[in-house]
Amino acid sequence: MGAICVRLSDRVFETGGSMSSRETILKSIRSHLAASPPDDPSESVSSVIPISVADEPVALFKQNLEAVNGHCVVVESEEEIVQQVTRISGKIAISDAPGLNRLFGAQPVENIFDYDVGISTAQAAIAETGTLVLDSARERHRLVSLVPPVHIAIVDASSIFHTLGEALAFIYQNGNISPAVTFITGPSRTADIELTLAIGVHGPQELFVIVNKGPSLSN
Amino acid sequence: MNHLTSETFDKNAKAALADVQLRGALRNATSLFGKRRLEAARSLNNWEDLRTAARAIKDDVLLHLDSYLETFEANAKQRGAVVHWAADAAEANAIICKLARDHDARTIVKSKSMTTEETHLNDALEAEGMQVVETDLGEYIIQLAHETPSHIIAPAIHKTKGQVAQLFTETLGMPPTDDIAQLTSTARATLRDRFASADVGISGVNFGIAETGTIVIVENEGNIRLTTSVPRMHIAVMGIEKVLPRFADLDIFLKLLPRSGTGQRLTTYQSFITGTKRNASDEGPDELHIVIMDNGRSRMLAHPVTRQSLACIRCGACLNACPVYQQIGGHAYGSVYPGPIGAVITPQLIGIEKAAQLPYASSLCGACREVCPVKIDIPRLLLHLRADVAASPKGNAAERLIFKLWARVMLSPSLYKMGTMAARVMQRVMPLSRAWTNGRDLRPVERQSFRDWWKHE
Repeated sequence: MGAICVRLSDRVFETGGSMSSRETILKSIRSHLAASPPDDPSESVSSVIPISVADEPVALFKQNLEAVNGHCVVVESEEEIVQQVTRISGKIAISDAPGLNRLFGAQPVENIFDYDVGISTAQAAIAETGTLVLDSARERHRLVSLVPPVHIAIVDASSIFHTLGEALAFIYQNGNISPAVTFITGPSRTADIELTLAIGVHGPQELFVIVNKGPSLSN
Repeated sequence: MNHLTSETFDKNAKAALADVQLRGALRNATSLFGKRRLEAARSLNNWEDLRTAARAIKDDVLLHLDSYLETFEANAKQRGAVVHWAADAAEANAIICKLARDHDARTIVKSKSMTTEETHLNDALEAEGMQVVETDLGEYIIQLAHETPSHIIAPAIHKTKGQVAQLFTETLGMPPTDDIAQLTSTARATLRDRFASADVGISGVNFGIAETGTIVIVENEGNIRLTTSVPRMHIAVMGIEKVLPRFADLDIFLKLLPRSGTGQRLTTYQSFITGTKRNASDEGPDELHIVIMDNGRSRMLAHPVTRQSLACIRCGACLNACPVYQQIGGHAYGSVYPGPIGAVITPQLIGIEKAAQLPYASSLCGACREVCPVKIDIPRLLLHLRADVAASPKGNAAERLIFKLWARVMLSPSLYKMGTMAARVMQRVMPLSRAWTNGRDLRPVERQSFRDWWKHE
């Protein structure tokens, strides 16, 4: 048995005439709901009590990132950032973050699949999970943080949120959200074969995060 | 190709029980998943509150599903997405085939999507002469093996590393090894080119946010990010029940889903995609198409007991907890969705006549209900469906007759007295059906009935 690909001669794109699938589905939803006997009232919970996080965010972030096979160093100056980056060898692709271009020079990235290392900043991070927050509207890092086998990310210590909830509020505020936001928690992984953990699948095989306690690169 | 169907479930299950290798693989996998889920749930001191809150949100969504879908569509369109509606699987496939054809697609990369398994999308695209590559490692393995997934989260859970190694050697010419890291890097290397050259990327959707028109997709491997960032067109397939009201609701669901599925606090990547890029020179696809599919889901809204089927967030926790699934695995169910959730949605999606045995694939132990992050009462649903089966042509006429007689006897004290007297005699002369006694111990009928004893006390 295989599915047949029905050539419906643009019926699916008609807006006038016979009822569209959109109307069919909405009507089906409404009529089935209307036919339903009443339900028991839902259990109510006024709000979920948030867990308070007492630990200092940088230490907690580092601990949680390392627990998922990420590497984390904390630095206090631009010199240290450069030092950390130059330890890693290979053909480097850099995002368009102004601070990075100042430190490492701006080179246009040709075929992203040819590079060994991608460097970007992260707009924020989450301490309770060791997660980086990358907002594609603020920096061109969607592929640089994904394709090369090594990803180096620099994040300001002051941008590390304690909780997931805070990070969600950060990426969606005042009714605005970027076209593509990505959360990254460690290097890529899978356990699809015998549930045995393998690090490094399609995304980067290594993730280095440099937490910058010094002045922000974007200044 | 896997030819097992739900109609032969009993036979499928017996065959699976005889497969020693499968049972070993399942025992290891499900107990590990279960252990990790428990640890992850315990690491949060408000886990039960989260479950309650999540279920309340889902109840609200389902009661107002039409308006939340309309809001989702409006917001997604406003940000540049094209939104399509597919009443059934054939239509979803037709929409996607047309998009791929009009876009001159040759190579299509796909990330794991149970919804597209449901529609058999790959078959439809291949019939059009397009090459479709599954990029999730587990899905890639079963695609090479011409099989279907046996678990919602870990599709190739039934395969040993030796079997995977042999498969890769035969189909990819990989030098023999069964080192898992080697197998993984073989898959990575082979799929790299496909990502780089693909025209279209197709994904599923974990959550669609009505408030913003955002689609949220979670993963560990990075193949979803590649599928949805590199090709010029992204097609996302979403069941109607995947919509959530507010962006902030993700705080609850992103805590429940990874912990319930794999025991992780968060999967490696979450992609929050809202419409298309702002400038042509930005990274990312030029076009985003969201296909909203019904395919039998809206019917489930017609009763509170069945409506909760649509609360499912496809975490797979119920599979890992189920003593039946743990023994027989996913293929025996003969359906796209296996395990406890599969046993309740399959009859509703494909019709009770084609899946009449599935509601009976359970001892009603309730383990699934305990682990479900959105508190779906699966045993109650199973009983509801069993009543449907019993009343349908698939029901056993002899069974219906026996229960009618039983009801008559129980409602009449004199018939009851005669019945127990007869049973005392018959139990010595006529053994009960083996189908009943094979799995049950029955005490003999007491020599003195309670009523007699009471009279004489």
